[in-house]
Amino acid sequence: MTVAPAMRILVVEDEVLIALELEYLLQDLGYETVGVAGSSAEAIALGRSTSPDVALVDIHLVDGPTGVDVARALSADPRTTVVFMTANSKRIPEDFAGAFGVIAKPYSERVVASALTYVAERRAGAGPGAAPDGLSLAPNA
Amino acid sequence: MTDDDRSALDAFSLADGIFAAAFSASPTPMVVTDARQPDNPIVWANTAFVALTGYGLDELRGHNCRMLQGPDSDPAEIRRIGGAIAAARTIECELFNYRKDGTPFWNAMTIAPVRDASGELAYFFAAQADMTDKRRFEMAMRGTNDELERQVDARTADLQSALEQKTALLHEVDHRVKNNLQVISSLMLLKARRTPEGEARDALQSMAERVGALSTAHRMLYSAGDVSRFNLQDFAADLLADLSVGLEEDRTRLESEVDPIAVSAAMAAPLALMIHELATNAVRHAFPGGRAGRISVTARRDGEALHLVIEDDGVGMSATGTNPAGFGRSLAEMVVRQLRGTIRWDDASPGTRVDISVPLESGI
Repeated sequence: MTVAPAMRILVVEDEVLIALELEYLLQDLGYETVGVAGSSAEAIALGRSTSPDVALVDIHLVDGPTGVDVARALSADPRTTVVFMTANSKRIPEDFAGAFGVIAKPYSERVVASALTYVAERRAGAGPGAAPDGLSLAPNA
Repeated sequence: MTDDDRSALDAFSLADGIFAAAFSASPTPMVVTDARQPDNPIVWANTAFVALTGYGLDELRGHNCRMLQGPDSDPAEIRRIGGAIAAARTIECELFNYRKDGTPFWNAMTIAPVRDASGELAYFFAAQADMTDKRRFEMAMRGTNDELERQVDARTADLQSALEQKTALLHEVDHRVKNNLQVISSLMLLKARRTPEGEARDALQSMAERVGALSTAHRMLYSAGDVSRFNLQDFAADLLADLSVGLEEDRTRLESEVDPIAVSAAMAAPLALMIHELATNAVRHAFPGGRAGRISVTARRDGEALHLVIEDDGVGMSATGTNPAGFGRSLAEMVVRQLRGTIRWDDASPGTRVDISVPLESGI
């Protein structure tokens, strides 16, 4: 059995405590965090320089509700799957700004784990089976 | 009056006789013009017309009626009248005209062609009315209606904006609460990571889980769109899924049979906390030393009460000695008291059975 390389994940979150704990959680789950960004400019720059597999994007960042723009910019890179992680799902536009789905805050570790497993499977070409609970998919995902 | 005029009016029976007397005395302003003379001049007007316009009979006679028009007479209406005159058609119209002293008035009139015995167009006859008061009244009414409509629009806009502000505020508060719950949970988990294995670390983990249970309740409360109701079934499914992580499935089975019961928002957090405590207690303490077993959570509506049973087939309360489940147990009892319900603990041999009944509409 071949082991696929761990997904490389960019965390876009302005709340440092949440970001740090999420980083630990991702490490526990066997993923690699390629960076943490708190503002939209930082997030877009990190996205360009690291081309992550997955970006977990909060909507409210240091510079305002700019997570939607970040999602649009990062999802322009076909290598990156964007997943919103927000307590403010109502701000997500109808087309999800190119994002794959959204994990609602406050989330549990289980939800993050199963959502990322699902994302990994879909990226590996699995069919769009039922999404795990806690992950709401974009209409075209 | 010239002889020509007189002969003309004779033909019209206006110079003398019963019609002349009647028309001259009529309170309705009337005027007759001669269609056969150039520019259709006035040849006769009654006293009421003289009173209406302020012109003497001598000043009127020989002039076209347009002498009454002024700067604010509507050109379109004047054209319409001109068209009817040219075509010898009867017309009803209303024109803003001017008296001799310059004061304007709304001049309603009916103009009718009058033909001679041979059927040829001879005169125009016009009966008039001063509509100024009626117009003024209409304008006032329109003004009042406009003002009322404006006021209603303004109030509606105020209410709309108040509602939008309230909705925006609710979203903002909701967002803040959720984010803070995530921060609190992250904070405790971070501290737990830096705490050596043992009691302190377990306590931090347990606290983070309790916050997690409250978070689940809060998330469900606001995501469903109805901020005043909370579906116990959805909550239990989520909570038990979180709880089953880390359980060896063939060793400990978690079962739930929870009806879709809507509970009030005020009950959401206490109920969430209580179910979490009892189910966690069972998971933690009922099956020591690799013992296999089953935990079940049942909730159904029983009249006006919510009936909740949490049961396991583990070692039972008596076997747990000094009761490591103490804190969870007193927490559950406090919550039941807050919800004005009852709680009963039974040794189910094997295992423990907790029976809870809380009023659903307790007006909390």
